[in-house]
Amino acid sequence: MFQSQFDGASLFSGGGFMPPSDSTQSSEPSPSSSRNRGNSTLIPMTVKQISQVLSDDNSSAGVEALESNNVRLVGMVANKVERVTDVQFILDDGTGRIDVHRWVNDATDSNEMAIVKNGIYVRVIGHLKSFQGKKHATAFSVRPITDFNEITCHFLECIYVHLSNTKQMGGSPQPQKSSVTTALGNGPMGNSTPAKHIQFTGHPALVGSEDDINTRVKKVFMEPDALKNDEGLHVDEVAQRLPGISKQRIMKAIDFLVGEGEIYSTINDYYYKAAATM
Amino acid sequence: MDISSPAVFVNGELLKMHTGRRVRSVVQVVRVDTGGFVAQTSDGLQLSVKATTVDPLSKFVEVIGVAEGNQTIRAEMCTNFGDAFDMASYNQLCQLANSEHNSLFI
Repeated sequence: MFQSQFDGASLFSGGGFMPPSDSTQSSEPSPSSSRNRGNSTLIPMTVKQISQVLSDDNSSAGVEALESNNVRLVGMVANKVERVTDVQFILDDGTGRIDVHRWVNDATDSNEMAIVKNGIYVRVIGHLKSFQGKKHATAFSVRPITDFNEITCHFLECIYVHLSNTKQMGGSPQPQKSSVTTALGNGPMGNSTPAKHIQFTGHPALVGSEDDINTRVKKVFMEPDALKNDEGLHVDEVAQRLPGISKQRIMKAIDFLVGEGEIYSTINDYYYKAAATM
Repeated sequence: MDISSPAVFVNGELLKMHTGRRVRSVVQVVRVDTGGFVAQTSDGLQLSVKATTVDPLSKFVEVIGVAEGNQTIRAEMCTNFGDAFDMASYNQLCQLANSEHNSLFI
């Protein structure tokens, strides 16, 4: 259970770390897909990794994925130069150095950049751009690091995401993954996957208390396919999805949920729909 | 972009593999000496750090510099890392960054 929770998809998709597989592997250079911010995710990376992707001539898809995704870098600020419209500095993360530009549009931006000084550690969120043949990062956010454990965490996440992305190609054996998860510890990042156990709990032996049935009937109405139907679900459909619970008990639960305002009847007394979508 | 002079994450044991190269290590300060300080690495070994200017140091300090020997770093830069830093996790990061995943770092 613990291992499966630490699966890359469930761990990072919620937080937006992992690129959706279709956007990373996409080889067609359609401008609409690269501009589609909805697909872009935040990938923790080292400067060395970025330069590797860029220097590999065969990886135009990789470069494109890199440019359409946001990256998170953690490192030390050097050579900070302030101008009227932007602030530039070199970010040294110990694996390499990269130029970072931060456009300064309003007072919030200039306040944020004023506390960034040479020699301090910062977390940069931004994306990569080419200008006159040179790659640099354009930052949306530059924040000083106050808890230095974040540096350890960032680099562990770089390893973890790298492993998770290469795993599909048959890359990493299990022990490496477990060593990273041990190092990451039992952090607050364990997004649990949404409970999808409704289909599997229909065994008569598992039928629980009245409260339990009410909850399970409500969950059926909260399923995405039930929500998208204007007329909601027929009572028989609900019964089908909860084998092992008698129709009478389901009707009783529906009555209860109607009373609670959780669901309402739609086209007739046999069709019900959830009142709220969440 | 410039990746010519990386600084490798090291603990006391790994320092020996990087003599003459740039390294970075978070250490716990034991005592300040003339011309530097004595520190304990994340794997519990003793290390002497040569530093020209020693500012007031916090309990944990990151030293970036050149590995001069098995137990000595000539510091280019010392950064205070505060008084609460998880050395156990850092030690594991050092090991991962020097084993099968070193391509991400050096």
